[in-house]
Amino acid sequence: MAVSQREQALSLLAAANNHGDLAVKLSSLKQAKDIFLSADLALLAAELFPYLVELQSSHEALVRKTLVEAIEEISLKTMEYSPVLMQVLLTLLSDDDSVVARQSIVAGTHIFCKVLEELALQFHRHGLVERWLEDIWSWMIKLKDTVFQIALEARSVGPRLLAIKFLETCVLLFMPDNDSRGHNTEAATRSAQVFNVSWLAGGHPVLDSVALQSEANRSFLILLDLLRSASVLPGSITISVVSSLATIARRRQVQYSSVLSALLDFDASFIAKGAHNASIQYSLRTAFLGFLRCTHPVIMESREKLLKVLRAMNAGDAADQVMRQVDKMLRNSERASRDARANKDEQPSSHVLMSGDMPRKRSIPMDHEHLGSTDLASKRIRYGSNSNTGPVIQSDSGHDHSVNGASGRVPPLDNGLTPVEQMIAMIGALLAEGERGAESLEILISQIHPDLLADIVVTNMKHLPKSPPPLTRLGSLPVTQQSGLPTTSSQVAPTTQNPVLIAPVSISSNAISTPLSTTATSISLQADPKRDSRRDPRRLDPRRVALPVGNPSEHTMEDVTSLTQSGPVELEFDASALFKRQPPRIVVPSIENTSEILMPKAETELHIPENITKVSQANQSSLKEQVPDEQAIQVGPEVEFNIVSDVAVSPIDYVNKESDAQKSMDTVMTDEDHTLSLVEADQLSPSTVDTPVLEEASADLPVVPSYVELTEEQQSDIRKLAIKRIIDSYKQIKGTELMQTRMALLSRLVAQVDADDDVILMIQKHIVSDYQHQKGHELVMHVLYHLHALRMSDSAEESSVAVVYEKFLLGVARCLLDALPASDKSFSRLFSEAPSLPESAFKLLDDICCSDNNCGKDIRDGDRVTQGLGSLWSLILGRPHYRQAFLDIALKCAVHPKDDIRSKAIRLVANKLYVINFISEKIEDFATSKLLSAVNRPISDTEVSVSGADDQRTEGQMGSQETSISGSQISEPGTSENGTAMGAQSDSRSDSSMSPAQAQQHLSLFFALCTKKASLLQLVFDRYDHAPKSVKQAIHRHVPILIRALGPSYSDLLCIISDPPQGSENLLTQVLHVLCEGTTPSADLITTVKRLYETKLKDATILIPILSSFTKNEVLPIFPRLVHLPLDKFQTALAHILQGSAHMGPALTPAEVLVAIHDISPEKDGVPLKKIMDACSACFAQRTVFTQQVLAKALNQMVDQTPLPLLFMRTVIQAIDAFPKLVDFVMEILSKLVSKQVWRMPKLWVGFLKCISETRPHSFHVLLQLPSPQLEGALNKYGSLRVPLAAYANQPNIKASLPRSTLQSLGLASEPHLQQQQQNPAASFNNPDKSTKVEGTS
Amino acid sequence: MRLRYAMVCSSNQNRSMEAHFILKREGFDVCSYGTGTHVKLPGPSLREPNVYEFGTPYKQMFDDLRRKDPELYKRNGILQMLKRNLAVKTAPQRWQENGPDGHFDVVFTFEEKVFDMVVEDLHTRDHILLKPVLVVNLEVKDNHDEAAVGARQTLALCQELEATDRWEDVIDDVISTFERQHRRKVVYAISFY
Repeated sequence: MAVSQREQALSLLAAANNHGDLAVKLSSLKQAKDIFLSADLALLAAELFPYLVELQSSHEALVRKTLVEAIEEISLKTMEYSPVLMQVLLTLLSDDDSVVARQSIVAGTHIFCKVLEELALQFHRHGLVERWLEDIWSWMIKLKDTVFQIALEARSVGPRLLAIKFLETCVLLFMPDNDSRGHNTEAATRSAQVFNVSWLAGGHPVLDSVALQSEANRSFLILLDLLRSASVLPGSITISVVSSLATIARRRQVQYSSVLSALLDFDASFIAKGAHNASIQYSLRTAFLGFLRCTHPVIMESREKLLKVLRAMNAGDAADQVMRQVDKMLRNSERASRDARANKDEQPSSHVLMSGDMPRKRSIPMDHEHLGSTDLASKRIRYGSNSNTGPVIQSDSGHDHSVNGASGRVPPLDNGLTPVEQMIAMIGALLAEGERGAESLEILISQIHPDLLADIVVTNMKHLPKSPPPLTRLGSLPVTQQSGLPTTSSQVAPTTQNPVLIAPVSISSNAISTPLSTTATSISLQADPKRDSRRDPRRLDPRRVALPVGNPSEHTMEDVTSLTQSGPVELEFDASALFKRQPPRIVVPSIENTSEILMPKAETELHIPENITKVSQANQSSLKEQVPDEQAIQVGPEVEFNIVSDVAVSPIDYVNKESDAQKSMDTVMTDEDHTLSLVEADQLSPSTVDTPVLEEASADLPVVPSYVELTEEQQSDIRKLAIKRIIDSYKQIKGTELMQTRMALLSRLVAQVDADDDVILMIQKHIVSDYQHQKGHELVMHVLYHLHALRMSDSAEESSVAVVYEKFLLGVARCLLDALPASDKSFSRLFSEAPSLPESAFKLLDDICCSDNNCGKDIRDGDRVTQGLGSLWSLILGRPHYRQAFLDIALKCAVHPKDDIRSKAIRLVANKLYVINFISEKIEDFATSKLLSAVNRPISDTEVSVSGADDQRTEGQMGSQETSISGSQISEPGTSENGTAMGAQSDSRSDSSMSPAQAQQHLSLFFALCTKKASLLQLVFDRYDHAPKSVKQAIHRHVPILIRALGPSYSDLLCIISDPPQGSENLLTQVLHVLCEGTTPSADLITTVKRLYETKLKDATILIPILSSFTKNEVLPIFPRLVHLPLDKFQTALAHILQGSAHMGPALTPAEVLVAIHDISPEKDGVPLKKIMDACSACFAQRTVFTQQVLAKALNQMVDQTPLPLLFMRTVIQAIDAFPKLVDFVMEILSKLVSKQVWRMPKLWVGFLKCISETRPHSFHVLLQLPSPQLEGALNKYGSLRVPLAAYANQPNIKASLPRSTLQSLGLASEPHLQQQQQNPAASFNNPDKSTKVEGTS
Repeated sequence: MRLRYAMVCSSNQNRSMEAHFILKREGFDVCSYGTGTHVKLPGPSLREPNVYEFGTPYKQMFDDLRRKDPELYKRNGILQMLKRNLAVKTAPQRWQENGPDGHFDVVFTFEEKVFDMVVEDLHTRDHILLKPVLVVNLEVKDNHDEAAVGARQTLALCQELEATDRWEDVIDDVISTFERQHRRKVVYAISFY
């Protein structure tokens, strides 16, 4: 049965490995798996598993994935035979195919949980742990570390998500679930992760609850770190991290407050570019809502805060709803939950373990260890078909028990302890962790509340020895560090802690432990005879031993503790000395490079002969475990032993590059040992790569030669990889100590890679990704200066270095532009501080500022322009050498066709740059030339057309020349045809000159400068006359803005005003208008303008703006000139006069204005009568100003004048037309006129009569006042008056008062029939004859 | 890459069923659910909705409403909707009870509240398979027209997801592009089975 199964399985495995058809492979593998699951593996495993293991190098991703699944199933079912399979799992964790990698993580997680559970249960049931289980647990620790690496570094998101999930699982497993109140439901339903660290409360030979808890802390810190580095993570990762943290906080409330504060501090504005911000925000919201759902007291306390945050996130409704649900639930189950809580509280106490039974605990695990290691090694060797695996496995075993070792020393935690005790235990655990724990410890201590810290110290005082031990000589050692240790050890410590010994021990043990792992066979052989079981080399595992210098005492103490208990001290030191002699340098890197090793593995499998692969994998995986930290900075040659050797086999292979990179690093660092080992590795042919090599590598170092030849290609590859590596490794490091070194390294490497786009791109990405925080700027500067220095010092290389320099600078600049908001100053800082700027940098700036070519881009272009201009400004100030070039760009923008850009640039130039005296002249010249070019454009056009005409003249077209000479009116066909150079211009110009927009474009800058320096305006005035219409328009548009900007300080302007050039009157007028607009013109201005008026410019127009400041006596002399102006100007003047100034009041009242108008004599003042009449009409048009009363007053004044104004009667008629209510007043006037014998003034008499006629019947009594001859004449002229007048006069009371002569002329010598005719005129009263035009009266 | 989809709304009647219908027609592997405690359909007035248990066949609801007031339910489109639904599957299903249906790769919700419930529900389940599930919320008003639009856009997004090799790597891009193209706000979350 077993035999047939074996054969069947063998053939299936062979098929899975070799068959051509993928489907067959898969199904064979599955069938083989079924056989494994059903068969008795005790018989089959050793023989068949190697074939299964082989499948890991299958080229088919699906096969590898299925292999992982198979391994998972087999391992879960028959765990004891599967340690050999774990290595496959570990390898495939970093498989290139993310499906395989994911499946590996999933399988790993499952096995991990299962192993933990099994470990706990086995001890629980049988009181001991079997060796195979310990073995597999050691694999699990490696797996865990690898997965942590994946969480931090993997490129593919899928595996990373799972790795994060794994981190979460670890935290949940390792963190005591000592209080799940309020989480009853969750805890009850959670059957998958049954294991919890609280199971170990009774102590465990393999698992140490304190170490596990500190492991949980570490995982937790990694998650927090990931959250903090969200700016470089894909959105999905960030979301996963948030949700994992939330889960942890909900299930392990100990961490709740740290999670909450981390989430609250999380700045979602600082996420990676491209990450989906809304979703990340929402994940926070979900987390907070989830907290609200929790009824755990710790979480309940922060409800208010949560509600506030949620409301701020617009999730107030959702939050309220959750609150209602929770409250309801709480009320319903209050009693039940209280019971449950009580039960829960009791639980931990039942787990209370016997405390401090040190000897027993220590000895048991040690025995196990010892047995385990030898036994295991042999077992493994048996399993492995290839002898290479032997030593590797042994080296692992050096490792497994590190955890146990630690467990022996630290007393287990009791969950029922007081907070202080718990904290002390925690600190103890961290101390026991050594270097890895140091970081967490620091954080922990920094976050402990002062009160609690004080309590901790006080509690610890108990453990202090009665008399002060020599320990004090260690100085800075914090007392608390010992707190968690049992009293025995602290008592031992003083006795053995000879300060002289401390350093050697720690260092040497460092050295020892590492060779042990790599060269296990040889060394352990040497060591074994001298050792007893307790001083097994694995005790010296770097995880415990390689402590930071900060707490050497603790670590020494441990060693010493073990020494004192286990045997002669000097033996230990002998051993350490022995290993110390081996150069530690070769060893240290071999440990530290492991974080990188896992990556190339998969590919290695594909290309390298199998035995090598195995060695390398085995080594790698064994090494990996020993990485003291993620911060593997140094690059180790260890991998090269295996991989470099096959450079020839597959030179393109990524693996090679990787190793090449390492080599280059070494070369760069000129570390002799590194190169030595490298060379050795190089010399190895694939077939000789074997365990002995490893031994050699560490044992016979001095023999190795010192230099390696690399091809050009290799060199550049190496450099690239080195750069990549530095960058990658740097992501992990938060501190700044190594910053300088890193910068120096990177800059030199960049200088060496030549113009390689990939590398530069990569660095740029790195730099920009976290520009502010990672000191990207400093790095860039470092690189740039290095390149610059190279260029300066080495002229031969100039071209290539220059190219690199340029590429790098521009690349970074572009990245900054793309990555950072326009308000960011980094870009300008980059250019400001770069050692030199190539031509293309100017081009880039030019592109940003004058973004003609990217008009299709989005709105932020505006901001970009601002940014570009801002940069220009600082560059002009800060880089005198390139000032002209920058200035040119700025000026170019200042005449940019786009308004937006132009106005921004002008603001820069005029406000910021023009004030700088050393460039103001250049700016001025430029602006002037632009102005002139605009003004003179027609002339140049004329020239063109002349030349065009010249051409044409040869063809006999004479006409064109005349046209062109005649001035700017060029529209003949000649111009549009002749242009080669000027073609575009003439095309764009339909008329003679540029469009208003173009004029504006050319003038804006100049006017902006004028605001700073008014004297420049002179030029505008000078050129105004010759300017084409569009330019004039532009000038007129600019002037008001300019004058307003100039403010009151326009002394320069006054100079110009006092002597305006010919032809600039319009401009002058406008200037004056603007100057006086809304304010009282200054005395200077008034004097200047007056003088100008008196001396040079007789045009009253210029006076108009200042009229309001004139007094009556000043206005009256010039009044005729004002009236003489065109009507619209007069109206303006009138308005000014009437408006007056604020403190003097109007120069003339409206009535005075009217009188003044009437006082103008056409003959004397040389104003045409028509103008005066227009002026009058203009006054009457303003009925609100020239009201009834005003008219009455004016008329009243004028009627007393002698002689009467020529237009008096006309005005009277107009007045009565405008205001019929004035009729009574007018009658008085007329009466006065009668008394003045108006008939003697012929021009007025006509008007008088007309007026009488129009105002009948009101005028009848005036008419009757006329002496009879005049009455007769009047009636003769206006016959229609006679009858009604007679009727009027015939009234008895009137008739009685009339002189006889009057009655006679009316024919009223008592003729009664006339009375009847009275009706008719009365009827026509309301219909006065208006057909006669008013004008006719003059 | 063949993904398994779930469409989730409140009552598993309108929005999720419209999407289910369309995706099914396009050959997607899709299920649909509701997260409410009951299935609610509009009644004669706002205060008198028709309430059914999850699991009540659409056919039964159809007959019930047609008997009550055929005119009303024809006018407001309920009957047509139920007719469509019963052609898609038998009865509305409740999300919280869908454990036996296995895991999904992508879950679409059409309302923030539903999204919250789904995410919370996934959170409280055991994560044994460690299989990532993408939960996407596309806000869709609960009426026939909007549901039709929403379903079409859901289809578009599903096609995008289907076209990717692994959604985890590109989800940010896919979502952002979708938002730009359709001018819709979408939120996603990641959970595990």
